[in-house]
Amino acid sequence: MSRAFQPLAIPASAGIGLRSPHISEMLTRRPSAGWLEIHAENYMGDGAGVEALERLRQIYPLSVHGVGLSLGGARGLDRDHLERLRRVCERFQPDLVSEHLAWSVADGAYLNDLLPLRYDEEALAIVTRNVETVQSTLKRQVLIENLSAYVAFADSSMNEAEFLAELVARTGCGLLLDVNNVQVSAHNLQYDATAFIDALPADAIGEIHLAGHATNQVGADTVLIDDHGSRVPPVVWSLYRHAIDRLGPRPTLIEWDTDVPVLDVLLGEAMWADMLTASIMFNRKQAARQAAAAKPRPMPTLLSFESARTSMPVLAAFAAAKARPVMPVALPPMEGGYHAAA
Amino acid sequence: MLPLEHLQTTMARSVLAMEPMVSVKMLTAGKADPLARLRIYQNNTRSSLTAVLVAVFPVTVRLVDERFFRYVASEFIRRHPPVESRLARYGAGFPRFLKTIDTLSDMPIVAETARLEWAIAEALDTASLPPRSLSDYDKTDLGPSPDILLQPSLRLIVSHWSILSVWTAHQQGTAVDRHCTWTRRPERVALWRAGNSVRLVLLDRADFAFRHSLKHGLGLEHAASRAHALEPNFDLVSALVRLFADGLVTNVRITVPPLSN
Repeated sequence: MSRAFQPLAIPASAGIGLRSPHISEMLTRRPSAGWLEIHAENYMGDGAGVEALERLRQIYPLSVHGVGLSLGGARGLDRDHLERLRRVCERFQPDLVSEHLAWSVADGAYLNDLLPLRYDEEALAIVTRNVETVQSTLKRQVLIENLSAYVAFADSSMNEAEFLAELVARTGCGLLLDVNNVQVSAHNLQYDATAFIDALPADAIGEIHLAGHATNQVGADTVLIDDHGSRVPPVVWSLYRHAIDRLGPRPTLIEWDTDVPVLDVLLGEAMWADMLTASIMFNRKQAARQAAAAKPRPMPTLLSFESARTSMPVLAAFAAAKARPVMPVALPPMEGGYHAAA
Repeated sequence: MLPLEHLQTTMARSVLAMEPMVSVKMLTAGKADPLARLRIYQNNTRSSLTAVLVAVFPVTVRLVDERFFRYVASEFIRRHPPVESRLARYGAGFPRFLKTIDTLSDMPIVAETARLEWAIAEALDTASLPPRSLSDYDKTDLGPSPDILLQPSLRLIVSHWSILSVWTAHQQGTAVDRHCTWTRRPERVALWRAGNSVRLVLLDRADFAFRHSLKHGLGLEHAASRAHALEPNFDLVSALVRLFADGLVTNVRITVPPLSN
C-alpha cells in the first residue's frame, strides 16, 4: 500500500490547507505553493482523494494535521484512531504532524468540535501521557496547537500558555501556534494576545496557522467565532507580525474551511504571509546594519491597523512592520495580564 | 472539584443534549454569560454534523425538504452521535433511523433512498483496484470453479421500492417530474466506485444473485447455479463478459480441489 516518497522538507514559508474543491486544480496547474497541509481524518479511507494526495505528495512537502485524536480526553486515546493516524503518516510520509490541545471525545461520543481543557495538574498528566503515546507510536515529534475557546474553566490552576510550556518540557513535543486562535480566545476570554505568544517557548514553535474568524453579536456580548471562513483579518496579521518578529520565519499555513474560495485566494493569502515575513526580516537586517554602523535610526511612523481600511490589510502590516518598535496597536484594551481562567 | 473524566462527560452531555446541564459555576467567559457561550459548542456540534449528513444524503434532503431533514438530523445527532472522529463513517445508522420517524411512516422510499445514498458514500471511500481483463487469462487454465474477486467498493442493494429511479431523477441535469408518484417496484442495484464518482446499474434477479455470490466469495460454480435456479435462461458467458467490461474483476484465483482418499 505505502510507497517510498522523496523526503520533502517543509520550508519556513507559507503553505495552504488542501481542500477537496482544489485538488484537481492543484494536480493540473501545480501552482507554486510552499507546502500543503491535510486533515488526517479525511485521508484515512481509500477514496479518490487519497489517490490524488499520493500524486500531490510527489510535488509538495506535506504536513498532516489531526483533528480527532482528543489528546485531552480523560479516558485516554482511541488506539484504533491512533493506528489509523500512524498508517496515514506511513503512507504519505509527512514532514510535520500536528494535533490540538483539546478534547472531543467523552461519554462514548465524538463531538466534532475542539473543547477546552481545565488547565491543572490532572489534565497535564493526562495530556502528557497521551502525547508521549502518540510520539512513541508515530516515532516522531508532534506539534501541539493552542485552542480557540469560548469558555474557560473556573478551577484552572494555570493558563493555556503555561500548560503548553510545561507540556513541551515534559514530552519534548513542539508547538503549532495558531495566531487566529490566540486572537479568538484572547478576545473571548479577555486576556492579552501578545502576552500569550510571548509566554510560549519560542524554540518549540515549529509551525504557525493563520485564518479568518467571524464576529457575532449575542446581546451585549461580541464573540469571535473560529470559523476559518474569510481572509486573514488585520488584527491577526498584526499578531502574526508580532510572532514573526519574535520567532523569525516559521512554516505558516493559510487555513480556510467554510465557504472555501477559489484556489488563487488561498495562494494570495500565502503570498502576503511570505511577503510580510520577508519585509520583517529585511527590516531586521537593515536595523542590524544601522546598529553596527552606530548611526542613530530615524523615528519610524507608527501605523494603526484599525485605521487601515484597505482590501489588502496586509499592506498595512507591511507599513507597520517597518515601524519599530513593535506596537500591538490593533489589539483591544486588556484588563490585566493573560490568564485563561480570568 | 470534579475529576476531569466526570467533568468532560458532563460537558459532552450538555453539548449533545443542546441544553445546559453543566453548572455555571464551573465555567468562565470574561464578562459574558458562560451558558450562552456553551451554546456555541452546541451549535458547532449540531451544525457541523448536520452538514456531514446533508453532504452524504443529498437526494434524501430533496425528498423531505431541507428544514425537515435538518430537524431529523438534529434528533439523530442527539441520540446517535458519532463514536469516532472519522466522519466518513458517520451516517450508517441514519437510514434505519428514518424508518422510526412517524411522519415518514407512509413514505418508506425516503429511508430506502437514504440506504442507497449511504452505500454510495461507502463506495466512494473504498479502494478502487486495477481491473483485470478477460484477455489476461487467455492462456490460463482456470479449472472448473475459479474464485472471481470483485472490486471492494461493489455494493449490492435490493429494495421493494424504485430507489435507483428516484436517485437518478434527482441528479444534476435530470428533469424531475414532481407529479410522479414513486411506485412500489422492486429494484436491484449494483454500484461501485469509478474514479471520483460511482457507477450504478440496475440488475435482474439472476444477475444480482450471480454478483452477490461472487462478492461473498462463494465461487463461480455456486454463483452460476444460484443464477440458473432463479432464471433458467441465465447466460453465464454474457454475465462474465459484463463483469469484466464493468471493470469489476480484480483477480481470478484457481481453486485447488481437496485431495480425496
